[in-house]
Amino acid sequence: MANINTGELLNFQDYSPEHNERSARIDVEAVHTNQYNNSMSNSSYTYEEPKIVEEPQSAPQTNHNFWTLEYYQKYFDVHTSEVVERIISSVLPQKVSRNYFDERIKGKPDLYGPIWISVTLIFTIAVSGNIANYLQSINKAVIWRYNYHLVSYAATAIVCYVWLVPLALWAALKWTTVPDGQDEMETQTPSTPTMISLFCLYGYSLSIYIPVAILWTIPISWLQWLLVLMAALVSGAVLIFWLLPALKKSKYFLILTSAIIGCHFLLAAGFMLYFFHVPDSQP
Amino acid sequence: MSGFDTKYDMYPAGDVGVVEGEMNVPSRGVPAGDSMEFNTLDEPIKETFLRDLRAVGNKFYHVLIPREKTSLLKEWDLWGPLLLCTFMATVLQGSTERADNSNDGGPEFAEVFVLVWIGAAIVTINSKLLGGNISFFQSVCVLGYCLFPIALSLIICRVILFTTQNTFLFFLRLVISMIGFAWATFAATKFLGDSQPEGKKGLAVFPICLFYFILSWLVVSHSNV
Repeated sequence: MANINTGELLNFQDYSPEHNERSARIDVEAVHTNQYNNSMSNSSYTYEEPKIVEEPQSAPQTNHNFWTLEYYQKYFDVHTSEVVERIISSVLPQKVSRNYFDERIKGKPDLYGPIWISVTLIFTIAVSGNIANYLQSINKAVIWRYNYHLVSYAATAIVCYVWLVPLALWAALKWTTVPDGQDEMETQTPSTPTMISLFCLYGYSLSIYIPVAILWTIPISWLQWLLVLMAALVSGAVLIFWLLPALKKSKYFLILTSAIIGCHFLLAAGFMLYFFHVPDSQP
Repeated sequence: MSGFDTKYDMYPAGDVGVVEGEMNVPSRGVPAGDSMEFNTLDEPIKETFLRDLRAVGNKFYHVLIPREKTSLLKEWDLWGPLLLCTFMATVLQGSTERADNSNDGGPEFAEVFVLVWIGAAIVTINSKLLGGNISFFQSVCVLGYCLFPIALSLIICRVILFTTQNTFLFFLRLVISMIGFAWATFAATKFLGDSQPEGKKGLAVFPICLFYFILSWLVVSHSNV
């Protein structure tokens, strides 16, 4: 974090008298502003644990205000290949290394993926919900008209899910984790995942619903339920897989795990029943 | 640092020698004909109006044939986007009668209007967050002007809708609006693609695609006569 060489500063350095103490003053100021900025940036997100300092590329100092655009640029500092890799890791975790979440997502959580996956999912559900509605009414005599306001219902559901569930999970993990030893307190190893990384994980876990939402347009009831089960199980299982180290430390391991899976299943079933389902009782 | 300091000591402040040179104002170097450009107080209002219209039309032309990249970026304006957005919102708005079923049949005028502007703003903020070196309104201007192919496809679909509908005509409308979508995305990518750092181009293009896809979807699904 502090990319300033503290060892060099702490050492005794003699300054020759012809030095007009310009360089010395500049360095002292640099140290001062650095410490100030570090304390500032830490206080703005207090849930962030002390990161393991291993950033050789020395990212530019993030001393931007919370309200500026530059403050958020660190959450969008991803490349196309990284985003693709994260989407793959949310469906097929065996394709990436085993501690991918701990190393990559926790160290550098991005908001690009969650935001745009949610937006894509909102509009995919709205579009394919309309197509499903059209396919269901194709045999009936009524003239079909499309329903624009599916967008707002889908948006409400998804935004609530992506922001509220990780928040609840983060709180639950934070207050139910039992420290399993004194040494952990001393070394301060990161025990619970940060809030941003949970948002990131949840956002990417929604990506499987995008192809599923397109397949839901097929008006066959058992196929729709099969897709619900499959999608919820696969992405729920991957979520559990990545969160397993953190979940194990919690007192309520089973409750949290089943809550995660249950919420995921409820979301999928809710989508299917509300936007796509063929009502059985035909008038 | 020490090198700088020794230099600093060698040339103490106040003794920098004689400063000589000319101070040129670069904008004075324009040809004589252009100086009339700024003296528009006594010209007829028709000329002013036509000149602005010509600038807007010129940008529409550049969107249709996106060959040179800087034409839209140099002087942005929001007149073209406003025209296109108002036109699309007027045509696309759903009817108010909901006799047969609960579906609303289409968005309201304000919903399309807000969708276009908020969508363009969000796509622009996304490209700024990714680190693109382009100003906010330049990007909004390009995104707005690149709606032109979609607006054209809306006009054609509207004309098709006057005849009695069948499945073939529906697919014709689908194809036309997909061509409009591809064209708009191509043009916007051409204008905005270079502003992104290497390796992030795909991340910046995807929201643009999504934005135009949603608008094209509105064009296809607009079916109430």
